[in-house]
Amino acid sequence: MSFGRLPTDRRLLAGVAGLVLAALLAVEVLFPANPVTDVGAVLVTIVADANYVSSVLRLTVPIAFAALGGIFAEKSGVINIGLEGLLIISAFTSLAAAAALGGGDPNQTQLWLGFGIAVLVSTLFALLFAIVCIEFKADQIIAGLAVWLIALGLAPFASKVIWGQVNSPTIGTFNNWTIPVLSEIPFVGPVLFDASPMVYMLLVAVVASWYALNRTSFGRWIEASGENPKALDTVGVDVRRVRYTGVLLSGFLSGIGGAGLAIGRVGQFIGGGTTMVNGRGWIGITAYLFGNYNPFGAFGASFLFASLDALQFRLQQVGYNIPSELIGIIPYVTVVVVLAFVGRTRIPSAAGDHYESGEE
Amino acid sequence: MSVAVYLDGITKRFPGVVANDEVDLEVEAGTVHALLGENGAGKTTLMNVLYGLYRPNGGTIHLNGEPREFATPRDAIDAGIGMIHQHFMLVDTLTTAENIVLGHEPRKWGGLAVDRERAEREVRELSQRYGFDVDPEARVEDVSVGVQQRVEILKALYGGADVLILDEPTAVLTPQEVEDLFGVFDELADQGKTIIFITHKLGEAMEAADDITVLRDGKNVGSVDADATTREELAELMVGREVLLEADKDPANPGEVGLAVSDLRVTDDRGVEQVSGVDIEAREGEVFGIAGVDGNGQSELVEAVTGLTTPEEGRVSIHGEDVTGLSRRDRIDDGMAYVPEDRQERGLVMEFDLVENGLLGSQHAQPYAEGGRIDWTETRGHAEAIIEEYDVRPPDPDADAKSLSGGNQQKFIVGREFARDPDVVVASHPTRGVDVGSIEFIHDRLLDLRREGKTILLVSSKLDEVQQLSDRLAVMYEGEIVDIVDPDRVTEEELGLLMAGEIPEDAPSIADSTGGER
Repeated sequence: MSFGRLPTDRRLLAGVAGLVLAALLAVEVLFPANPVTDVGAVLVTIVADANYVSSVLRLTVPIAFAALGGIFAEKSGVINIGLEGLLIISAFTSLAAAAALGGGDPNQTQLWLGFGIAVLVSTLFALLFAIVCIEFKADQIIAGLAVWLIALGLAPFASKVIWGQVNSPTIGTFNNWTIPVLSEIPFVGPVLFDASPMVYMLLVAVVASWYALNRTSFGRWIEASGENPKALDTVGVDVRRVRYTGVLLSGFLSGIGGAGLAIGRVGQFIGGGTTMVNGRGWIGITAYLFGNYNPFGAFGASFLFASLDALQFRLQQVGYNIPSELIGIIPYVTVVVVLAFVGRTRIPSAAGDHYESGEE
Repeated sequence: MSVAVYLDGITKRFPGVVANDEVDLEVEAGTVHALLGENGAGKTTLMNVLYGLYRPNGGTIHLNGEPREFATPRDAIDAGIGMIHQHFMLVDTLTTAENIVLGHEPRKWGGLAVDRERAEREVRELSQRYGFDVDPEARVEDVSVGVQQRVEILKALYGGADVLILDEPTAVLTPQEVEDLFGVFDELADQGKTIIFITHKLGEAMEAADDITVLRDGKNVGSVDADATTREELAELMVGREVLLEADKDPANPGEVGLAVSDLRVTDDRGVEQVSGVDIEAREGEVFGIAGVDGNGQSELVEAVTGLTTPEEGRVSIHGEDVTGLSRRDRIDDGMAYVPEDRQERGLVMEFDLVENGLLGSQHAQPYAEGGRIDWTETRGHAEAIIEEYDVRPPDPDADAKSLSGGNQQKFIVGREFARDPDVVVASHPTRGVDVGSIEFIHDRLLDLRREGKTILLVSSKLDEVQQLSDRLAVMYEGEIVDIVDPDRVTEEELGLLMAGEIPEDAPSIADSTGGER
């Protein structure tokens, strides 16, 4: 059972092949002057570039952390569609906290403190969401939307109060962690061993999440809580506690993702429009659905979506001006196609349902 | 022998109902005890009290001589009681072993990992000890219902249960699986476990139990030794009077084919074929029965016949006219009435009152509606007529459907459907969960329709019902009709074999013997 219930790797392979084909076709239609072979050559050059892969990994961070968080919440039976909001909250908080501690130029320790505070605040937000859903039996979808909408309004507003505008000033980011010797390996070295600490954290989190879900008692309980909570209740495990834990983990992991985006990569909070998070939480949801609730699958899907995003930038640089909106909808189209046709993404049976111990 | 469970004067009240009225129950250790009674007699409530799901309003629970109080099932489990519910409490996506150890997983590496080898080994040992055939590595969703039931039993045993309560354990099993289950009971009892099982089938109680306690209307009406009692005695205890084992039935006088189904194939939502080439010809003035264990395609067959689903292949016709492509509403207009198997899901709108429910299916038709407007005076009169004729209680047309008891809901549906003056009646489990008085009433009405020359298709998993009412009886197994037999000549054993998909050598088959010369 090394890859979960379903052949996630095969699904991913099919997904990648389909997407590359679709991209090529799109290019063919949009730029009939340049034959596809040409584009193919350009694509190969881009994809084989270590810089490109590095930037994809950094882009993957917020999406994949949100996805991992979403897995824990939804597998426990609470659908958390407020992941986007949690990313926004933590992105903002990390900047605000680091700036409050270190002024315009916080040092690394202050950045890390800001990061920690952001994760804490995101977890507290998730706790609020959990209380509303579990204690007061609010509709999970509506409560999740509320989390997003509140974050979407609150973060830019707080920015204005603090900095007089929706965007924060630019402060530093985390230094890369360079691992001696290993970072000298061609291609692999700069990608994997001279990377942002967020990338390392993500790789650890993916493995740890998989392990927690598939090898520990807690993982079995999460599964049971989302599939048949009564079965869990009757053997004496408190379903509410399991669900609280699942939702809190989604807040914790999304917090890392959001803070990792703001002070891990950009060094600024951008609050205009859809904010700097710009739908990455939503893509995170599609990523875990695409990955069938398997952390490795979710990571793969996040990586895939991030690589498309990055690809569009690169193609722009070499003169292919594909509208970013077109690339932006690919994850959603993919997930609809996967859910409808490739099929068998198995949504936990009791996800979205309230559970009350002792009810018949 | 020592007494394992002693319930002393248990009373449990729900708003408006006394479900258990000072019930005493004594179960000896190491025996199999059947709790027998009709639906609604309070059997499950009593066991839920013992299991800590309900707090009793009065009375005490004694376990091995000690008075105990269980606030939650957890307390009961800790005291060594295990309960196997009608709906299994299993997690489909986990393996059988993972389900059995759920909540008590053996761990290794300082609690950081589940010790799966140990869990599977322990489950395998436990399984072998009681002669079960359960593969610890199989996923629950991939094993049969019979095996799932054993997983439930093993789960209780793994949790340390000495007293096992099973709620209607045979309801979902084939006759062969029922035999196996009773074998398991004996094995468990031999090894000192105490078993209480709930049933409404007196044959099962006599076969499997050492002692039988009969509940009626929430009261203990007698505890008997299974070897020293008779079916008649038990039946009398259950219903409180002599049971009419035969309905008044005139000889059949079949006419033309009223409802014909040919080569019908129905596939369910998951793409699994549930009905595989069924042919039926039900005649006017005849009750054509369909028997079988639930889940062998009867529901899908009925849905295709009544127009709720579209068959993949095949034809449904009423009096020779093809109705396969017609909607439910067109079929109603063509004279097909339907008593659905799930009255709360399909038969009634629970939030509507009886006036509105009485209109369902006729909301477009004269005299209740014209030009999109409903004549509520007419509609109310209609509901009142049904209530009067079918003795629906309370006799209040403004009562919401959900406030009625199951039996009264069913009587109202039957009344509504029969009031359409149908040519063809499709009745699916028309007496499920209905009290004895109402059962007789519904049976009589069905036979009235038969006498009037209507065509009746009757689906039921109650053998005595289909056997008693039908003129011809088809047995379904895995989507096919195994055989069509004469219900007056077939024995219960033969039916049992047929329901398990086997054709006994001397089954009284009749393909179409009542058709006669036309």
